[in-house]
Order: sequence, then structure tokens, then C-alpha cells
Amino acid sequence: MSTSNFRPMQRRDFLRKLAITTGGITVGGAVLSACGGGSSTTADGLSIGTPQNPIKLPVSTDPIADGLANESGTLEILNWADYMNPESIAAFETQFGVKISTSIYDTEEGAVAKLRNGTFKPDVILGMTDTGLAKLIAADILQPLNKSYIPNFGNVISGLRNPYYDLESQYTVPYFIYGNGIGYRTDVIDKSAFAQNGYEVLWDAKYNGRLAVLDSYRDTLAMAIFRNGGNDANSSDPDEIKKAGEALIEMREAVNPKVDILGYQEIPAGNRDIQFLWSGDMFTAVQYMPEGLDPGVLGFWYPETTVTKNDFMCVTKAAKSPVLAHQLINFLSDTDSALKNREYVGYQPALETITVDTLLASGTIPESLVDALVTPEKYASGLAQVTLEPAVDALWLEQWTAFTAG
Amino acid sequence: MKRTPRLWTLFALPGTTWLVALFAIPFYAVACVAFGTIDPIFRDAVPQWNPLSWDFTQASQTLASLTSGPLRGVAIRTVVYVFCAMVISFTIGFPIAYFLARHSGKRKLLFLALIIVPFWVNYLMRMLAWVNLLSSDGLFTRFMRLFGVNYNWLDGSPITVVLGLVYGYVPFLILPLYATLERLDWRLIDAARDLGANSRQAFRLVTMPMSKAGLVAAGILIALPMFGDYYTNDLLSRSPSTEMLGNQIDFFLNGSSQPQNGALLVIVLSIFLLALMSFYLRSTRQQARQTTR
Repeated sequence: MSTSNFRPMQRRDFLRKLAITTGGITVGGAVLSACGGGSSTTADGLSIGTPQNPIKLPVSTDPIADGLANESGTLEILNWADYMNPESIAAFETQFGVKISTSIYDTEEGAVAKLRNGTFKPDVILGMTDTGLAKLIAADILQPLNKSYIPNFGNVISGLRNPYYDLESQYTVPYFIYGNGIGYRTDVIDKSAFAQNGYEVLWDAKYNGRLAVLDSYRDTLAMAIFRNGGNDANSSDPDEIKKAGEALIEMREAVNPKVDILGYQEIPAGNRDIQFLWSGDMFTAVQYMPEGLDPGVLGFWYPETTVTKNDFMCVTKAAKSPVLAHQLINFLSDTDSALKNREYVGYQPALETITVDTLLASGTIPESLVDALVTPEKYASGLAQVTLEPAVDALWLEQWTAFTAG
Repeated sequence: MKRTPRLWTLFALPGTTWLVALFAIPFYAVACVAFGTIDPIFRDAVPQWNPLSWDFTQASQTLASLTSGPLRGVAIRTVVYVFCAMVISFTIGFPIAYFLARHSGKRKLLFLALIIVPFWVNYLMRMLAWVNLLSSDGLFTRFMRLFGVNYNWLDGSPITVVLGLVYGYVPFLILPLYATLERLDWRLIDAARDLGANSRQAFRLVTMPMSKAGLVAAGILIALPMFGDYYTNDLLSRSPSTEMLGNQIDFFLNGSSQPQNGALLVIVLSIFLLALMSFYLRSTRQQARQTTR
């Protein structure tokens, strides 16, 4: 299955590298920068839901009326690079007789800034996460959804039908889900290593020069917190944050890790043996497998204590084709379309109807990566990552600088 | 007669406009970000346009980090890397420029073209090509193994980063150096030889002093972009052990909620480079004085 995708992957590979050199990241929905918060309203007034304090977002306009006809013409999408299958785009265009035009963003902050100043005027935004959502609501950029156009909303995994960041799903429909964990080469590392040592494997000097962690201060520092025995992905305890930073420095001295988001190509290429990464990366990695090599060498350890995230789709208030925008969201939440979309994107659609069995049956996922799939149970037990208060965020950044400054 | 100076002033206008619009104003804006605040909701930079209300608390923290905190190591490493890259660049570049100017004869244009042509390809593309060549099963790595060199070039190695910098910038050293050497009055060297200097003495006492301005100019020309470079590092290393100042600026501006830190580092770097530039200007002025004397 990987050969048919080989050519587009090359281009995508290049685009990602390009994005990295310009400072952004394009890996789906995964956000490099500030995420989440400790309470439902931070001191500065940004409304942020947390699992402990879910939030019902304010609504300033009504959703579109029921039963409107689809618009014709062009539907404008704002999306991460390569975060929707071109074949799915073509299928939607044919089915609705419209043209889709896509703009690309490479950081959530950048996208929000360009939405605020009017550089981007999309109908639909794909791949935003809760951090971005809080800002989009504050800037009054989104319109509430009319679910009568989205009957496929019922396919969404149950834990996300009433999410903490947007109670009653007024503005958002989940797109992809993923969890943080460790991707590795099964021909170098045995699964049992993780059962015994868990996160500690990343500190094993054996993997010096063959190991990497995510270039995302929130994800990687949170991982170090879990390794130290903590379980707060949004810790505001200065001592706990400092100890996490020290743990990373200890790792740096033991294994000289790389800090990037390239595990999805470096692990299949054999350039590294192990990386702390987003689970979805390993499915992308399958498509980067050198020809003739069994994707069974790709393994993933899904930690018991880890961050689980999802991103979502939403419609802008200024949308010129709001009905089509709803139709696209409905289209992407359809089981078959979502499976097709997944074939290209790699990440796992946030649909309950797409089970582990469905995905294995589709033949696009090697048995060795079953653990990388986010089941509804894993989603439920995963920890959420929310925007930090500026003062706490500064503590995290301080430790991250101490680590990356080498 | 009185009109002439005004006319000359007019000639300076496009240049001045250019400098103000594309340097002075942007630089002021960077300062306004560095000493400004952060939007509490959107967490992006809010420039403080009024210098009287500039806030230096964040800046002093970052400066402390530069002098005694984690950023100190990065700053020192940046200087060391650039220094090494410059030494290697001169070692490679000077003989080539000298050869081109002095000994290439009829094939001068061909050699020049051969040096320039590869650099028609975008910098990024060339670096990505090196990533392929240097990977563990890459052509270069395999070639080096023939000589018993088994080195993991892409495992966050300082050598790779320095060589990457050299490869990226060396043509920008060769060309101005060549331009200087080409204009040298070689009869002076003949004269030195006639007066009893051997070739080494002639080179040390005549060629070197005469090409000093070119050497300094070429050196500055590649030092400036090397100091701010971050993508060479991003592509060839990505390891904290090779992190340079440019990478930290990139992180603060693009990946963190503290863009002021990035802006401040830009200012610190600029001041440092300004010092280098003034050294260059002084040395060329001295040179001009010597030649007119």
C-alpha cells in the first residue's frame, strides 16, 4: 500500500522540512507552542475549558437556518499541509459540484493572527486544537454549527461528543485523535523494555545518537514530568517543572538526543531507533518505509500516563459558503470518507465507527502498531493539555531553554 | 556652482530612503517588540512604540541568561562555530580566489562559472541534498567508509554543522576575495621579487597587506549571515548540543509565548555585528588612506 503513496509523500516530506526551517510545524494538529490552561478562565481573561472545569462557549450569533441549499462556487479551507487526502478533496468536489481551495498554516498562533487581520478568509478551518479555539472565540471568528447538516456527528467517539473545551459541541466537530508515546524499531528494541522500564528507556545510554524527543516544549517536558512520577501535564508547581527540566538535561548528557518532529521518516529510514512522538507519526512512518522492508519493524509504546489530544473542524463567521462548510464537516465525519482520508494523512479519525478492527482490516496498519491506535478507553484515560497561565508558561519555557541550549 | 552639492544630496536620497524604510524602521520595530508587552489573550507581541514606556524587566532576565544562564553556552558556541567555519572558509577560499585571479589564465571564466553554478540551486535544496548524502546509508558516508572513516554525520555533530556553514557560505567569500585579488597590481610583486624577496616573502609583505580590505570584507560578508543562521543547524543537526543563537531566536519568535526574548536576542546579535562592521569600516578607511598616501 505504501508504493501507491510514494510520490506524494516525497513532496510532503519536502514541505515538512521546509516548514521546519521556517520555524513552523505542519504535522497535523500537533501544536508546538503554548497550549491549554489550568482553569476555565485564566487571569488574563482567555476562556479555556479543562476536563475539571469544562466550558460552554459564548455564542454571539445564531447558527445558519435548517434546510438551506448548498452554495455553488468555491469552498475555502484553512488546513495544515497534507492534512487532507487530495482524493477526498476531489471526491467532495465531484459530489457537491464545487471547487475546494486550500490555504496552509504551519503554526496555530500564526493562523489565529492571520485570521484576525483578515489575511486568511476561509469557510472551514481544519486541525485547530483547544488552545487555538479559545483565541478564535475571543476574537469572535467562529460561527456556531447547525448539527442538522451534520448527521454524521453521531459517529464521533462518545468521549468527544461533549468535549470539555466546547460543551455541547457548539462550534467544533473532532477531526483526528492522537496520543503521545514512544515510537521504536522492533528489530532493535524489544517491547518488554517498556513494560519493565517505561519512559526510562529514553534515558538509556545504549541509544546515544539514535534517539530523539519532540520539538514541543509542552509535550516533551510533560513526558519528563510523567517519567519523574508526576501526572500533571499542565503542572504549575515550580519544583516539579524544574525537576522535569533537570531530567531532560540528564537525558541530554546520557544520549545526546535530537529535538525534532521527524520521527515519522527517521525511524523507518533506520537513522534512529527510538523517539518520543505523537502516535499518528507512526502511521505516517508506514508510508516512509523503504521499499521491500517490512513495516513490522515499526513499534509504538502507548504509556499509561500520557497526553491524549484531538483537533477539530470549525466554520468561520465570515464564511461565504456556510452550508458547504457544514457539508464538508459532515463528509469528513462519514466512516468511509474518513477511512479514505486517513490513508493519506496517517492520523486516526476521531470516529467511534472506525475501530481498531476496521483499521486492521483495511490492511494499511501493521500489526506491530496496534498499540499506537487511540481507543475510546485510551482517550478517556489520557491526560489533557491546556493553556498555561503566562507566569507558569514562563517557567516551562525557562526549563526548555535550559535543555535545548545544550 | 552652488547647485552641485544639492544634486549630490539628491543622489543619496534613494539609498537613504531604502536604509530608513528597510533597516531603521524595522530595527526600531524589533526594539519596540523587545521592550514591549505580550497580549494577555492572544499571547503575541504588542510592540511598545513609545520609548519612554519601554519595559526592561523581561530584557534584563534574558540578558542575565545570556551572561550567566543557559543562553551563555549558546552564545559562546555560536562564536566558536562561526570562528571555526571562517578559518576553514579562508583556508579553502583564499587559495581558490588566488588561483582564479593569478593563474587561471584563459579558463578564468570557466572556473568562475564552475564555482557559481552550483549556487544557482537554492540553499535549502543544497542542504537537503547533503542530508541525503550524509545519512547513515548515504553516498558520502559510504564513500568515507572506504577510507576507514565511520562517522555518524547527522547525529548532532558540531563538525557537520561547521562544515555545513562553510559549504553554504564559502562562495560568498571567494567572489569578493577574487574581485580584490584580481585588481591587485601584480607588477608590485614582480618588483618585490626583483628586489630580492622570495615568493613567500613577496606574498607575506606585498600580496597580503594589499588584499587586507578584501579579506576583511569577505570575512564580514560571510560572518554576518553565519551568526544568524539557524536552518543549517535545523537540517543537519537538530540536537541541543549544537544549538546556535539563531535557533533560539527562531524558537522564541515562532514557537513560544515570549517573542520579546527573540527580539531582544536579535538586538544583542545586531549590536555585536555592528561592532564587527565598524571594525571593517575602520580598516577599509585606513587602507584607503594608505593607498592614497
